[in-house]
Amino acid sequence: MTRFLRMLAHTKLYWGLLVICLIGALASPHTSTGRNIFLSYANLTDVLRQVSITGLVATGMTIVILLGGIDLSVGSVVGFSTIICAMLLTKAGWTTASAVGLPAAVFVTFAAIACLTRFVLHGIARGRDVTGGARREIRLSPWQRLGFPALLGLSAAAFTGWFAWSELPTKFGLLGVLLITPCVALLLGAVNGLLIVTGRLQPFIVTLAMMVSALGIGRLTAGQDNAVIAVYTGTNATEAFEVLRSMLWGLVPVPSAFFLAAIVIFGAILRFTTFGRYIYAIGGNAEVAKLSGIKVAQVQFTAYMLSGLLAGIAGVLFVAQYRQGKPDAGAGLELDAIAAVVIGGTSLMGGRGGLVGTFVGVLIFGLLSDILQLQNIDSNVQLVMKGLIIVCTVLMQEQSFGQLVARWRLPTAKRASQTGGGRTRSPAERLECATYNGGSR
Amino acid sequence: MKRREFLQLSATVAGAAMTIYLPGESALSRAAAKWKIGFSQATTLEPWRVQFNKDIQTEAKSHPEVNLIITDGQDKTEKQVADCENLIVQQVDALLISPKESAGLTGVVEKAIDAKIPVIVLDRNVNTKRITQFIGGDNVVIGRAAGEHAVKLLGGPGNAKGNVVEIWGGMGTQPAHDRHEGFHAFTDKEPGIKYLLNNQSGDWKQDQAYNIMTTALRNNEKIDLVYGHNDPMAYGAYLAAKDADRDKDIRFFIGIDGLPDEGVTWVHKGLLAATFLYATPGAEGLRQAVKLLNGEKIPPAITLPTMLITKDNATEILKKNGLL
Repeated sequence: MTRFLRMLAHTKLYWGLLVICLIGALASPHTSTGRNIFLSYANLTDVLRQVSITGLVATGMTIVILLGGIDLSVGSVVGFSTIICAMLLTKAGWTTASAVGLPAAVFVTFAAIACLTRFVLHGIARGRDVTGGARREIRLSPWQRLGFPALLGLSAAAFTGWFAWSELPTKFGLLGVLLITPCVALLLGAVNGLLIVTGRLQPFIVTLAMMVSALGIGRLTAGQDNAVIAVYTGTNATEAFEVLRSMLWGLVPVPSAFFLAAIVIFGAILRFTTFGRYIYAIGGNAEVAKLSGIKVAQVQFTAYMLSGLLAGIAGVLFVAQYRQGKPDAGAGLELDAIAAVVIGGTSLMGGRGGLVGTFVGVLIFGLLSDILQLQNIDSNVQLVMKGLIIVCTVLMQEQSFGQLVARWRLPTAKRASQTGGGRTRSPAERLECATYNGGSR
Repeated sequence: MKRREFLQLSATVAGAAMTIYLPGESALSRAAAKWKIGFSQATTLEPWRVQFNKDIQTEAKSHPEVNLIITDGQDKTEKQVADCENLIVQQVDALLISPKESAGLTGVVEKAIDAKIPVIVLDRNVNTKRITQFIGGDNVVIGRAAGEHAVKLLGGPGNAKGNVVEIWGGMGTQPAHDRHEGFHAFTDKEPGIKYLLNNQSGDWKQDQAYNIMTTALRNNEKIDLVYGHNDPMAYGAYLAAKDADRDKDIRFFIGIDGLPDEGVTWVHKGLLAATFLYATPGAEGLRQAVKLLNGEKIPPAITLPTMLITKDNATEILKKNGLL
């Protein structure tokens, strides 16, 4: 019985998802042929597609929150990315978007390839190290440390530059925007990271400043006369761009494929790589992590960059889905993302939680609004219901049912222990201990 | 890197990066201008506001005696109040204002009147009777025009039949309620018209309307007419129907606003059946201000008329705006 209760407490998030699905299925209206609309494949893929933009942003947000930070700028960065993407798609030649995007792409590919090469060389050297297992500094020759990475990075940058240059006279194609837009967003994330790490400022303040200024930069980029940049694939933009809103093999919508891939990739990184474990360590206690030799600054910087990168990809998907780029496209998205992360059980204090939770959190949010929409419930009531759900799920997350029950039974238990002397623990108390020992995720 | 070095470096880099955004042409003030007219715009983030500014600027070009100063309230009441105070200090000869909200800007408008500056309020009124003139469209009238047209499209008065999806603008905004009431004044009389959605708000946004429509399409097998409280929402609903391969089943999409590069373009392409002009008071406002300054008497209120835009007159409007 206790084991069952404990298991229930560990997996309560998934039970929450199941309950929501059940409510959805039972309450769902039916088609004239008697089929359940909520459970139909088309509806479920609709939900998966609708959550993918928030989901991508929430993925980056999870990493940052696990570190004990926060990124309020993602909404504005998404808006800025939609502007860059829409302008690259619809306008040929040098525009503000290509003037910003081209150097950004060249610089980012250089830095990314150079760092990656050095990382791989370092890994190879560690693998060859005969003292395997013992902790000692791995020394690379100057050629390996600087020369080779720089060379590879430069050639990659040259390739990117050449590719972007060749697309410049005509409008940019699918690959062009998928390459350039995330690079620009990544740079904004890097500015966040740099200010937080080197300027030693609070993440909340820095990303708040970025949230305001990215909106302004987006509007400047679009120009005073363009509040919205419309994208008509086939007439003013390349038709290939439609791929980003089609179904992959007729099964999964492409935006959801991006979202699922991000969850899997970053989930694996968080769980299995040193970098991922460092994130948990820093989120748990940054001072201790620093004293035990973790390069805290590097990890933090990378995390904010990744958050920017994912926001950039979300921006491209926004343009594909809604055929427009506008500076305020992602307004309020940062709060949706934070809500999804928190529902998923990641602690805002950092160090506790994970991407599986975020995935479920995003799904709960998406399914909920789908159910409310299918029930045809007033928009204002929908907002109230969403607020209620956030509070309820977080309550369930933070204070497990076992704890609540234990607290209710406390007076009786006390009396029993006073009379009964050396009595063994009650199941509820044992459950409470289990959850205190890192059980509640 | 030391903190100070870093700050110096980042300031330099930021400065260099911002040079991209330097304006190509610096605005030269017109020395010959006789009148200085200030215009306080609420925000420039919405396409309608952008068109509003374009209209007033175009009108200003035909009045060489006018030096027009435009400020942007950035969608914040405080900012717009500060803008107006700034214009009062500059001693403009007339103040045009398109308030973000009525209550918050009444005070500063009264301050301008106290400073003997004539105030012309555009689009949304303030809570004072002392203004010189109010110019705006009437959303109820526009909603009624849309309702009348919808009834005609669905079979004419008395035997109109069909399932209607209405996508609301922001629930907390007066225009949405006016456009709703005007529309229903006509369609509620028809027993054959059925409403499928219960107060669903797309918050004036194309993307939110898209998502509402996606679910509405799953929920309802037969939809005849979609009424969006503005054109982008009607277009967003159209896109959702197109992505679900049902754009041919739904007979009519109608919207409101009729901006040349949005609604009119979509009507011209045959995506929307009709849109109704919600004219910007930009051009009329400046004309009235010039009249006033030249000593003419102007009426206390002007209501801008609406216009039905269908495929028949869309081409002409696009040509007039240089989009075709």
